[in-house]
Amino acid sequence: MAATEAKGHGQHAGMWIYPDAATLSQDISEKSKATSSAFKTALVVTGILFVLAVIGFIARAADDGFDEIGPWGYYNAVFSMIFMVTSGAPLAACAFRFTKSHWRRPLSRVAELFSIVGILNLIMFIPMMIFLPSLDNPAGVVEGQMELRRTIWFEGPIGAPLAWDLLGVAFLVITAIAILWTSAMADMAEARNTATGFKGWLYRRLSGGWYGTKRQWNVQKAGLALLGAFYFMTVVFMHFVFSSDYAQSLIPGWKDSIFPVIYTVTSFQVSLGAILVALFILRRWGGYEGYIGKSTFWSASKVLLGITLLWIYHMFAFFITFWYGRLEIEQNIIQYLISDTYSIVFILNALFSFVLPFAVLVWNPVRRTDWGPALAGLLVVIGGLLFNIRIFVASANAAPGEKLYAFFMEHVPAPVYPDIWDVFMVVGGLGAAVFIYLLSTRILPVLSLWEVKEGTLYQKWGKLFRGEYQILGKPE
Amino acid sequence: MAKLPILGLFESADHAADAGDALKAAGVPMTDYDFLTDAPYPEGAFGEREENHRLYIFPFVGALVGLTVGIMLTAMTQMAYPLAQGGKPILSMPPMAVVTYESTMLTAIVFTIIGILFESRLPAFKQGLYDTRITEGYIGVLVNVDEDQLTPTQTLLTQAGAIDVVRKDGGSGA
Repeated sequence: MAATEAKGHGQHAGMWIYPDAATLSQDISEKSKATSSAFKTALVVTGILFVLAVIGFIARAADDGFDEIGPWGYYNAVFSMIFMVTSGAPLAACAFRFTKSHWRRPLSRVAELFSIVGILNLIMFIPMMIFLPSLDNPAGVVEGQMELRRTIWFEGPIGAPLAWDLLGVAFLVITAIAILWTSAMADMAEARNTATGFKGWLYRRLSGGWYGTKRQWNVQKAGLALLGAFYFMTVVFMHFVFSSDYAQSLIPGWKDSIFPVIYTVTSFQVSLGAILVALFILRRWGGYEGYIGKSTFWSASKVLLGITLLWIYHMFAFFITFWYGRLEIEQNIIQYLISDTYSIVFILNALFSFVLPFAVLVWNPVRRTDWGPALAGLLVVIGGLLFNIRIFVASANAAPGEKLYAFFMEHVPAPVYPDIWDVFMVVGGLGAAVFIYLLSTRILPVLSLWEVKEGTLYQKWGKLFRGEYQILGKPE
Repeated sequence: MAKLPILGLFESADHAADAGDALKAAGVPMTDYDFLTDAPYPEGAFGEREENHRLYIFPFVGALVGLTVGIMLTAMTQMAYPLAQGGKPILSMPPMAVVTYESTMLTAIVFTIIGILFESRLPAFKQGLYDTRITEGYIGVLVNVDEDQLTPTQTLLTQAGAIDVVRKDGGSGA
């Protein structure tokens, strides 16, 4: 057994675990190599979904081509859903490192591994550049239409919007992978002499020269801090750019400073939710119970509760501004996105993104379990998907053809329901993301070994006053 | 005379720190020995020298380069194709800010990654002296000494509590 019995008193019973640093590397290495039948089944199922996604994409392209964005609304939605998770998850690892939270140690690598799934985002983004409507009105100067539609790019500097969008998405993926590499280098160096085959080759290439000297640890720490800071600054910017280019700017007259913030908050919410679900699966069925304590769920659940409250606050702020403004376009947007066309999706979105997770997380006894925060995590992930469908399907179909260059959306369009290819792309796209994540766990350990070992230096169960408690060392 | 590496393995941080003290007392310069660990120990845990790096300069330089490129690109575009829109000036800041921000971030990130490689002295193509027991929590004290000092250093490390001493020439023993 690589860990001692979980510790804690009363309502905190079983909250803290103390892994054995001496056997940790070998134990995790064996767990990483072991492939259970459940894992194989998951790989096959998600692999099939991946194939369905490709079929759906090819069929959609064959049926509708890339000239109009309308038929690609569901594709945009699933891209955005994966983008929200893969862009937000690495930030969770960075943010909780910034705050020097001990409970985050088992969470870091689980979060960072989502950056590999980001490669799927980058590939998926390529066709999105083709069907994004031109900034310039193809009809030129026409009475009653704008010559240039309203976007964040204004008069369109060189390369805007496509080159800057692609560069931004690419750099987000590159930075996330750089964070993963910087963080995993020490773990890869540990295993480079024992790993064989592709893994051994990869580890030797990616960690050559790492020996764990004081200088290397210092540079790693500073590097992770700097990359994390830049990642945060880039991710928020890219959320702003993406939500503007593929949602707001496609609904003529939609001018809203709150929506990009809602997008970012939803991203943080669903990424933390996905991390909690992954942690729960690893703890319950992956054999990591001795490494992932309940304290991780307990602490993360408070952050998730906070983000969930922020989500409803921003949604209300968005709604009340437009409701009180009562301009024709504002009323149309409320009807389109909230109260009429996509009202059912909105109600479900609000249920899954706020009402249900709030009802779960508000209870202390539930927050202190591993299943409670994971359940809330699953709920917000579903809510996030509904949010993306509501926003991106609606945006892509709000103003077809020349209507996109109108001054504002004059009529409330009808809803667009998914056809079979849309279902393939949405379900298959999510399956593809899980498939890539599962594969990534075969390449890198799902626990950040050096961080968990570092944690054992600073945390112990010991006597304090007349009781026994967790005693923490705070070197900085 | 070329220096050769010798690695002492210690079960505890205290013994490794003792070895550091002994090396210091024996007149081995602090730049000639290093502590190898599988996790980052707190500053000064082994009484080691302060390790300074200049990583912070890299993103700063990168950001300056990106900022300059961004401003030049957007300003020169607007000067080359002057389009007066809604009475706004030709060189208006808000549209320039979006592109400039992105270019600043991107170059800062690229320079940071280069900085991590450079400051960590990576990649190193030659395999250094290492022992996989360090991954089990042992602490390595890596000393670079003149060839004629290998045996005395091995004795010193052993006396400080090394459970094993590994040499580049294949010699080993406590």
